[in-house]
Amino acid sequence: MNALEIASRGMMAQQVNVEIVANNLANMNTTAYVRRSAEFQDLVYNNISRPDTSGSKAGALVPGGIQAGHGVRVAGITLNNEQGSLKATGNPFDLAVQGGGYFEISLPSGDPAYTRDGTFQLNAAGELVTHDGYPLSQGIVVPAGTSDVTINLTGEVWVKIAGQVDLANVGQIQLFSFINPAALEAQGNNMFTATTGSGEASPGVPGGAGYGSIQQGYVESSNINPIREVASMVAAQRAYEMNSKVVKAADEMLAPSK
Amino acid sequence: MRSLDIAATGMIAQQRNVEVVSNNLANMNTTAFTRRRTEFHDLLYQNLRRVGSTSSNAGTVVPSGVQLGLGVKLAAVYRIHEQGNLTATDNTFDLAVQGKGLFEITLPTGEAAYSRDGTFQLNANGEIVTHDGYPLQPGITVPDNAVDVTINAAGEVLVKIEGQVNLSNVGQIQLTTFPNEPGLEAIGDNLYLETPASGNPTSGNPADTDFGSILQGFLETSNVNAVEEISNLISAQRAYEMNSKVIQTSDEMMGTLNQLR
Amino acid sequence: MENTSLIAMSKQSALNQKMAILANNLANMNTTGFKGEKVMFVEHLQQSKGGHGILGDKLAFVRDIATVRDFSEGPIKTTGNPLDIALQGDGYLVVQTDLGDRYSRNGHLRLDETGQLVNQQGLPILAEGGPIIFSPQDTDIIIARDGTVSSENGEIGKLRVVSFENEQKLEVISDGLFSSEETPTPVENPGVVQGMLEGSNIKPIFEMSRLIETQRAYEGVRKFIDSEDERIKNMVRELGKPI
Repeated sequence: MNALEIASRGMMAQQVNVEIVANNLANMNTTAYVRRSAEFQDLVYNNISRPDTSGSKAGALVPGGIQAGHGVRVAGITLNNEQGSLKATGNPFDLAVQGGGYFEISLPSGDPAYTRDGTFQLNAAGELVTHDGYPLSQGIVVPAGTSDVTINLTGEVWVKIAGQVDLANVGQIQLFSFINPAALEAQGNNMFTATTGSGEASPGVPGGAGYGSIQQGYVESSNINPIREVASMVAAQRAYEMNSKVVKAADEMLAPSK
Repeated sequence: MRSLDIAATGMIAQQRNVEVVSNNLANMNTTAFTRRRTEFHDLLYQNLRRVGSTSSNAGTVVPSGVQLGLGVKLAAVYRIHEQGNLTATDNTFDLAVQGKGLFEITLPTGEAAYSRDGTFQLNANGEIVTHDGYPLQPGITVPDNAVDVTINAAGEVLVKIEGQVNLSNVGQIQLTTFPNEPGLEAIGDNLYLETPASGNPTSGNPADTDFGSILQGFLETSNVNAVEEISNLISAQRAYEMNSKVIQTSDEMMGTLNQLR
Repeated sequence: MENTSLIAMSKQSALNQKMAILANNLANMNTTGFKGEKVMFVEHLQQSKGGHGILGDKLAFVRDIATVRDFSEGPIKTTGNPLDIALQGDGYLVVQTDLGDRYSRNGHLRLDETGQLVNQQGLPILAEGGPIIFSPQDTDIIIARDGTVSSENGEIGKLRVVSFENEQKLEVISDGLFSSEETPTPVENPGVVQGMLEGSNIKPIFEMSRLIETQRAYEGVRKFIDSEDERIKNMVRELGKPI
């Protein structure tokens, strides 16, 4: 394994790093977007001389040994599921989750998807759907002829029906939590699906232990901190350049002697 | 390099964001204008290493996998139909709706359009029309010899005819509501059309349950909040700049690559 | 000719091969759906005549055995063009040619004068019932994730997305088309994405470092050949001198 190969791998890893930062920054204004970060791992080591081998006939052991590494690779891209700040929009169907938990959406295929993006609207039939037209799996329907829809912290949907004094409860929005939300698989459109690594989705009432509360009229902003992202990008670029210098040096070393 | 394309999607998205905010700000003084909000969604992810896949024969599971995002896209620009403020104009035919419901207007094509803009006037025949000359539905005509016109909260048009003591009722203005008002299609001139997404119209008398009431001599202002829009503009601009920095960095990195030899 | 020269020459011709593949890869850095190639080298051992050499009985020549194509997915970028499609995950589009069905990952499509969906060379892309033809009234073209092509007037067809048992057996023809003797199987859950294109899967960093390696190796071999040449000349001169 030579320095040229190792340095190229280093450059490739930094390129992936920049690509991750680019996606974070592109999604700075995406509702409830969570920031991704790269996990680097060093590659396999060759034992040129094993640690704790004897260095002389007298039996003295060389503790260090000589191990040559093979470079670096991106082992994983982790989701950093920190709460984003809440922003008021004034739209009664914009819901933000303060705390843990995901909304469960029914995809057209029948499979469930999970999202923190609580910007909903009513379709022509009065169902509460996402902006892609997918309904909440609890199937909340606002009957025609209602004026005011109030969704409280525990996810109960109350509407004012014409002719009635008291508010009517038309449904309960649930939140779903996972053992390991960092292992959810992103599907795009601000949605995630469960995987073997994330564990099964367990439903709960918002506001309960381990579940956040629902804030009506708010959206959760992305949790990107632009300063941190730009700093990562600058560091990645410098590392890229340094690795390229190693490439240049390896190039010169490979040059046949005159 | 992917980051170039990713940053490009970011810049395009923020540009749309600025366009929507500018449209909101430009229409700050448009009667009954509803503000818009942009909704962004992240794009596809490419699996360089599948989440939850096994990493060894022992069955150990990869906890996070390597999913690389491809950027952002504009998912929706939706209207927020919040009641605007009421401003007094003292014009006889300026009407504001307080609560739910839109006026029904007949377009020259015969199609029905809907509007919250209540700035009406009388045409040569005494019909109540909009500033473009489109008649209000149901058609109401004010007789020539009317001295005074009063429109009450229930939308009844009462005129005082010269020589008569009692007011005479020449018509009833109606309001129309939809299950999903944001689903209406805006065609400009403060007019909206019905769509499959908005649901079917329901007409009724103002001040009835579930319909708003009519205020004569007032106009509904736009529901644009200037402070909120300026802060949205600033955040859109910052995001645009950040994405352009990514393009710059990617360019420099590609330059480094080209200088290897 | 001396064995050393022959061995060196075999290395040189192998390096030439490697360079040609590299150059083709780099030339196609921006080609939609391009899949990069690598050369596999193998030692060719030959019995050494004339006794026991330092390396034992065999001489190792370098022989290029095959080119391996890298079928990993290239980066997918957004173009916003409704007739651009990218295939996320496995699968190939089926293209109709005069010589039979061919396969491609290049989803940069357009319409021809009859409204047929074709690739940039004018060859039709096949759906389950044959080529896809749009009428002039179809203005809004929507291609769903499972390959269903529809317009505002209804569904028109479902694109065929197929996969192969052994991708390495695909032969490249030209213009991003592959041919195969194997009958492909349809992909169960295709990931057809409208408005995006798959880029070339070349990684310029690795191609650059291979370029450096190859060039240095070539120089090394050339210098070796030159010095061998000198040595033989000297030998002939010295040994051939009259005493």
